[in-house]
Amino acid sequence: MSEPTGVIHDIGYRHYDGVRLGRAHATLSLTLHSLRGVFGLGRTARSKIIPFLLAGVMMLPAVVSIAIMALVKQEAIGYTTYAVTMQAVLAIFLASQSPYTVAPDLRFRVLPLYLSRPVTLIDYVGAKLAAMTVAMFLLLAVPLTVLFVGELVIDLPGPAHTSAYLTSMAGAVAYAVLLACLGVAIASFTPRRGLGVASVIAFYLLTSAVSTVVAATMESVNNYTAAAWAWMINPFFLVDAAVQVGLFGAAPSAPTTYPAGAGVAVAILLMLALIALSVTALVLRYRKAAAR
Amino acid sequence: MTILATEGLTRRFPRVTALDQLTVTVGSGVTGLVGANGAGKSTLIKILLGLLEPSAGSAQVLGMDVTTHGAEIRRIVGYMPEHDCLPPDLSATEFTVHMAQMSGLPRTAARERAADVLRHVGLYEERYRAMGGYSTGMKQRVKLAQALVHDPRLVLLDEPTNGLDPQGRDEMLALIRKIGTEFGISVLVTSHLLGELERVCDHVIVIDGGKLLRSSSIAEFTQTTQTVTVEVEEGQEALAARLTELGETVTAHGRMLLVHVRAPETFDTLRDAVCELDLCLVRMEQGRQRIEDVFREPVNV
Repeated sequence: MSEPTGVIHDIGYRHYDGVRLGRAHATLSLTLHSLRGVFGLGRTARSKIIPFLLAGVMMLPAVVSIAIMALVKQEAIGYTTYAVTMQAVLAIFLASQSPYTVAPDLRFRVLPLYLSRPVTLIDYVGAKLAAMTVAMFLLLAVPLTVLFVGELVIDLPGPAHTSAYLTSMAGAVAYAVLLACLGVAIASFTPRRGLGVASVIAFYLLTSAVSTVVAATMESVNNYTAAAWAWMINPFFLVDAAVQVGLFGAAPSAPTTYPAGAGVAVAILLMLALIALSVTALVLRYRKAAAR
Repeated sequence: MTILATEGLTRRFPRVTALDQLTVTVGSGVTGLVGANGAGKSTLIKILLGLLEPSAGSAQVLGMDVTTHGAEIRRIVGYMPEHDCLPPDLSATEFTVHMAQMSGLPRTAARERAADVLRHVGLYEERYRAMGGYSTGMKQRVKLAQALVHDPRLVLLDEPTNGLDPQGRDEMLALIRKIGTEFGISVLVTSHLLGELERVCDHVIVIDGGKLLRSSSIAEFTQTTQTVTVEVEEGQEALAARLTELGETVTAHGRMLLVHVRAPETFDTLRDAVCELDLCLVRMEQGRQRIEDVFREPVNV
């Protein structure tokens, strides 16, 4: 250990008599710390590559779209279809970054240190979910906003797509919450980061493949109602059906329409149930981890 | 001043009783908690932090009940766990600042305190490097720093000398002594080596199988348990007989004789006895008191 070179004098130990903030401050600090971690800020340069690369890829359609708008004065990509079009990128980001929020704390046993502080287990889980939710929201909302600003600046003929933009932002919130809950919940079950990444991506591939195959099969036997339901197995189409189409009346981004009427209510309930299930699984998981 | 007190504290797990009717009181200063692995030390610490409910009995830390005031206790108590707990991709500075904020310090205060505390535990330039590349000694220092960063009134140190080499051990012990005296923070430190706690503690509590074996000040402790090991080339029996005759308590231990130190005069008696018998003295050393010796002796709390 190197000795201090520039020390003039040792002032001894000083006590701290400033303010001591409570749980809310600690939870917020943990959220910010985790959010920075998701984007690799304050970490090594290597851990910044993937999140920023994926964030860059998410920006591409917006940039290209702005260029098209500027050149041919025509809308290129719809706001509400953005998430569905870019679902693979969102899924890869979720899979690669959500294990980062939970796995190291389990693997390197940082969790007991957090619990020896004023925060409770629920605060901890809440902070981790909030961090991942904000990250997913930023990933989606920033390109949408850039696209909207671009549209306003270019001033396309006809009215601006303000309502479509707002709908897509509401959708972004729903996407962020659902995806973050699913991703963090799945990732929390293993202290190994690689395994967490694989589990989340496997979950996405499975739901997306199943929904496509079932929908295609149903369509081939002309059962379009069943096909419409089948699309919603994929969480990306589920949020589209429940929020963007169901609540705000946007055009569906799936190849077919979604179930209408009671179907909207079912889609919303299904989405909320998935969120609740993930949160419950997380809390149970951490109850068990904390007891060790 | 009472820092912590337990009353009939019991904790049962499905298969094992970790703490059994433990009643102890700890004052300010440095207190050692000694016990073999599985004696219930870590369970006691978890209960004191309010992280584990006691099955029966009660415990108070800094005058607050652990079952009802867990969060308040955790704000002014520091905890250094026995196991590794450092994320390898963060630097010691970032980690300590983050842990200070987790204890409720605002960001600027957290930065200041982290820099101060890291200097106190003896981490200088290396604190800006990622902790994954740290040696065990440096890791132990960071673990200690995060326990002190919010200026707690009490720190609970679980096996702080674990895995350290003799020099690192000495430095850690000196640091613990400094925390208790110079920093004015009460310390509860666990170990399974009584010998090393003797050097830094004011008070020692010995537990075994979750039961209190002994709780006494260090002066009392060393007085009643000190032994001196004597090794002579030949005539071990003769020396033992001679010493017993002179009223000393002697136990044969292989090639060694363990002589109980009643008073400083015991050393004179011993020297004289060896001279009188004209023996060749190989070694005479003060016995490093180990936990097993306490267990062997009758309990006289």
